This record gives sequence, structure tokens and C-alpha cells, in this order.
Amino acid sequence: MRFSTQDDLDRNAGAIDAEETLRLIASLPAPQGIEDRVKSGVRAAHRQASVLSWPHPTANKAGWTQVSAMRAAAAAAIVFVVAGGGWEVYSHIRLAPVPTAVAAPQHIEGGRGLSAATAKRIPKTLDGPVVAAPTNMKQRTGEGKANVLPRGHGARPLAEKSKSSVPAQQ
Amino acid sequence: MEIVESAVHDEARQRAQEEALEALVDQYATTLYRVAFSVLRNQSDAEDAVQEAFLRVLRHRETLGEIRDHRIWLIRIVWNIVLDRKRRAKTRPETDDIAELARVLPASGLTAEQRAVAAQHHARVMACVEKLPAREREVMVLSAFEELSSVEIATVLDVTESSVRSRLFRARNLLAELLQHPRSIR
Repeated sequence: MRFSTQDDLDRNAGAIDAEETLRLIASLPAPQGIEDRVKSGVRAAHRQASVLSWPHPTANKAGWTQVSAMRAAAAAAIVFVVAGGGWEVYSHIRLAPVPTAVAAPQHIEGGRGLSAATAKRIPKTLDGPVVAAPTNMKQRTGEGKANVLPRGHGARPLAEKSKSSVPAQQ
Repeated sequence: MEIVESAVHDEARQRAQEEALEALVDQYATTLYRVAFSVLRNQSDAEDAVQEAFLRVLRHRETLGEIRDHRIWLIRIVWNIVLDRKRRAKTRPETDDIAELARVLPASGLTAEQRAVAAQHHARVMACVEKLPAREREVMVLSAFEELSSVEIATVLDVTESSVRSRLFRARNLLAELLQHPRSIR
């Protein structure tokens, strides 16, 4: 490889140095006894797998048939149990009796045989407050507040009071 | 009678499979460990990855006879495992790398101080390698294994040999750039 400048030379030296590091790491020795540890792990997993895969899968035809028959028998037993259980539950369910006749709605007699479909309902309304009839403007402005008070409140107009307390001169 | 025969036959077959698997462990466990360590950079994680690789082989032991090159097949298995683990794990801090490298680097002829300096340097290089794009980084890491040719690297990564070469070229340039200017990321 030819390097054109010093910079290129430095760059490539850096890359070569980096590759050297990678090579060093790649060539680090494995820890002692790794093979034994891996083997024991594999053996343990193999034993576990053998227990789980009972009955042992076999390669020859007779064994395959035997295993298939056992699996079919097991499947049939499961189906039988599930179906039996379902029937047991179904047979104990009592359905509610279905009514034979349906009650018809009560016929409401409309007046003179006419339908009440278009009847208009008028709601009852409450009686609102009764507004007192307004007195004339002259009384209200000239005679003071007492005149404004409505009747029936126990206060009488001043004119009436003075009329009653001072006897008329004759 | 037939059942007994088939049981004996099964047992013999299982025994043969076990022996074949153990032979594979004896032959390739070290290589697989080194491949796993170069990515994970942790001894126990790398050993776990090797264990997992052989457990996968155990699950597919029926197909062992169909494999042409067991070594590349196994490296590919462990490579996929370590990449998967690395994706799931968080990025390793540089301090972890320094500590781990100082622990595992060969110490012959080096003082404790020199070992620490070397570990720091290697960790810095590894940090730069981590910054490379995934494709380039993978080729770079695998090319460090002298026993792997570019054809074999291509088989492991499931790409063509020419793309391995071009990725390696790009990786070297990028790595040189990163080592000169550590802040220039991609």
C-alpha cells in the first residue's frame, strides 16, 4: 500500500493498530474447563428433554405406529371425558317453560270509537302571581312613599290617616 | 420382542448423537467462545452464549448429519446468539471494557502499569469499533479471526464475498477516521 501524505500514513497506522487490538482480543484463550462445563450443561438438558418427550420418539416403523396409537388413545380419552362432562352439565339444565299465549295489551275505549292517537294533552299549569293594578301617577309622586305600598299590608296612605285623625271643621 | 429391539436401537442412536455432540464441543467450544467474547467482551456472557449454541444444536441434532461444515455452521449459530444478546443488552460502558480487558489480557513481561495503559488503549479502540455502522463492524470483528477466510465470513453473515471485501474497506477507513477524530461519529 502506498501512502500519499503523512496524514494518510497516520490514518492507516491507526487503523492497523485498531485491527491489531481486534486480533489480540480474538486470540484470547478460552477459560479453563469450558468444554466440560458445556458438556455437563448439554447432558443435563438432554436428560431433561428425554423425560419431557416420553414416550421416546422412535425412528423405526413399528415404534412409530405404537406411539401414534398411544397418542390417538390419549386424544380419544380426552375427547370422551370432555364430551361426557358437557353432556352431564347439559342434562342437568332445566329450561324455563316457554309460555304458549302472549297477553295482549288492554284495549282502551276511545270516545265514539275514535282513536286517541291524535289526542292533545294540555298540562296543568300553576296560577302565577297576580300583579296589582297600577295606581295613577299623580298619587304616586305627590303623596310620598306610603302611597306606594300596596293595599293589605297594614299601612294606610298618609292622606287617609290625616283625614281620620283630624276631624273636619264644619 | 420388536419393542425391545427398537428400544435398544433408540438408546444406541441417542448415545451416538450424544457422542457426536460431545466431539463437537471438544473441537469447537474454544473457537465459539472467542467469537462470542469478541462481541460481548465478558467471560461469563460469552460462555453462556457457547452453552446456548450447543443447546440449539442438541435441539436440532437430527440434522447434524446433513451439515457439511460444522465449524462455520456453529460459528453462525453463536454469532446470531451474541448479536441477539448484544441488541438486548445496554451498551457497555468503556470502564467495564478496561476492567475486563485488564483482567484477561496476557500479562507476561508487562508491569501492572503497562497492563493498565494497554487495557485503556484497547478499550478506546473498541469504543471506536462500537461506533462503526453494524454491517462494517461485524465484518471487522470477524476478519480479526485469522482462521476465517473472507468466503467463510460471507457464509457466516449470509452475504457475498465481494460485499465482505467492500464492507471491510469501508470499515478500515471509518475506523481510521474515528481514531484520528474521536468525535466524528458516522
